[in-house]
Amino acid sequence: MTGLLPLESEIKIGEHDQVTWHGMTFNMDTIYSTIVAGALVLILGFWVRHQMKKTTEDHVPTKLQILWEAVVGEVNKQVSDNLGKVHPFVAPLAIALFFFILIANWLELIPTELNHDTHLLPAPTADTNLTYALATVTMVSVWAYGIRSKGTRGYFKHFTEPFPVLLPLNILEELIKPITLALRLFGNIFAGGIMLALIGMIPIYAFWAPNILWKAFDMVIGAIQAFIFALLTVLYFAMAGAGHEEHELHEEFQEEERRKKAEAEAAHADEAAPVPAH
Amino acid sequence: MASVAITPMESNFLVPNATYFVELAAFVLLLFLLAKYVIPPINRAMTARQDAIRAEFAELDEAKSEASKAEEEFKSQIADARHEAARIREEAREQGAQIIAEMREQAQAEAARIVEHAHVQIDADRKAAMAQLRGEVGTLATTLAGRIVGESLDDDVRQSRVVDRFLSELEGAS
Repeated sequence: MTGLLPLESEIKIGEHDQVTWHGMTFNMDTIYSTIVAGALVLILGFWVRHQMKKTTEDHVPTKLQILWEAVVGEVNKQVSDNLGKVHPFVAPLAIALFFFILIANWLELIPTELNHDTHLLPAPTADTNLTYALATVTMVSVWAYGIRSKGTRGYFKHFTEPFPVLLPLNILEELIKPITLALRLFGNIFAGGIMLALIGMIPIYAFWAPNILWKAFDMVIGAIQAFIFALLTVLYFAMAGAGHEEHELHEEFQEEERRKKAEAEAAHADEAAPVPAH
Repeated sequence: MASVAITPMESNFLVPNATYFVELAAFVLLLFLLAKYVIPPINRAMTARQDAIRAEFAELDEAKSEASKAEEEFKSQIADARHEAARIREEAREQGAQIIAEMREQAQAEAARIVEHAHVQIDADRKAAMAQLRGEVGTLATTLAGRIVGESLDDDVRQSRVVDRFLSELEGAS
């Protein structure tokens, strides 16, 4: 009966297979699974590249090509909707983020836990080191893009808008963006792993049903998290590149609202006017 | 190999360690490889296909307009041919009527000519018959009378005298 009770000591949170080299600590399991995930993405990528070299005259895509084109086309659409054009850096970044995070998340679903201590392929996204790294790449690129598209002065001036008093909040927002990006992804995938570990404690004759259900659900979570990360990356680029038009649009909208409100009040006053006569 | 480093910092899984730099490098490498070798050919293939589809549609439109033009031409040619045929038929009918009229006229003339000829022939025949009859009637009558009378009237002198008398009697009676 001990198998039915989830023992606290059996679930290890944030524990990695670590190697220390020159005073630096490396999470070897994360690194291995990152290599596997990256290799899978590259294999899929170079495979489709190889397939496209011998494309026929009628331009019929292969299945793998359709998969890639669906992602690339969707990202290109998002990027051109938000940035005005298919930016030659933002689009590949979002595509790479999506595919890499997707594959990395789905590694968790492969049952590679040999025994209690050895998990060959834990999702590398369940390690903050990876998510911080991805968020760093994203946010450094976003800041560089913002400075390049608005100029150094224009970009930093933006922090004092719409009111200079909001400067601390604007700076805070800019610092919170990478942290939320990283921790949202990490939290979701990490929690999925914990759920799998908990389900794994259910006795063998009963654990398959919740296991299948949770893995199916986890697949969706993995895909959604990859999508969110890529989409937010594009949106942060759009926000960094957006000039004053955003505020102008907002003000216009407010003006419109105010006008409508005034009209409604006037109409209401007209209706209300005869009432006191009675 | 798997020596767990025990420091208070690393017990917190929210704090990154040196793995961060490995991950950073790995993702930048991945991004570089995808952006340089994988994504451009996909974009190219997509635009190439779109271009091909667009070209095909343009070709289709062109072919369609060409076909409709050809049909128009064909129809107008058919109409022309119909008109031509009608004209030829009308002409033929007129010609036929003319030929018939001509033939009729010719036949009538021929008939008239034949009738005329026959009249002349008959007239001449009658005249010849009359002359011949006039020659023979005397002989026959004499022979007949001789038989009846029983007297030979073969004597030429008498004969001619009798005939002349008979004739003058005839003329006198009339």
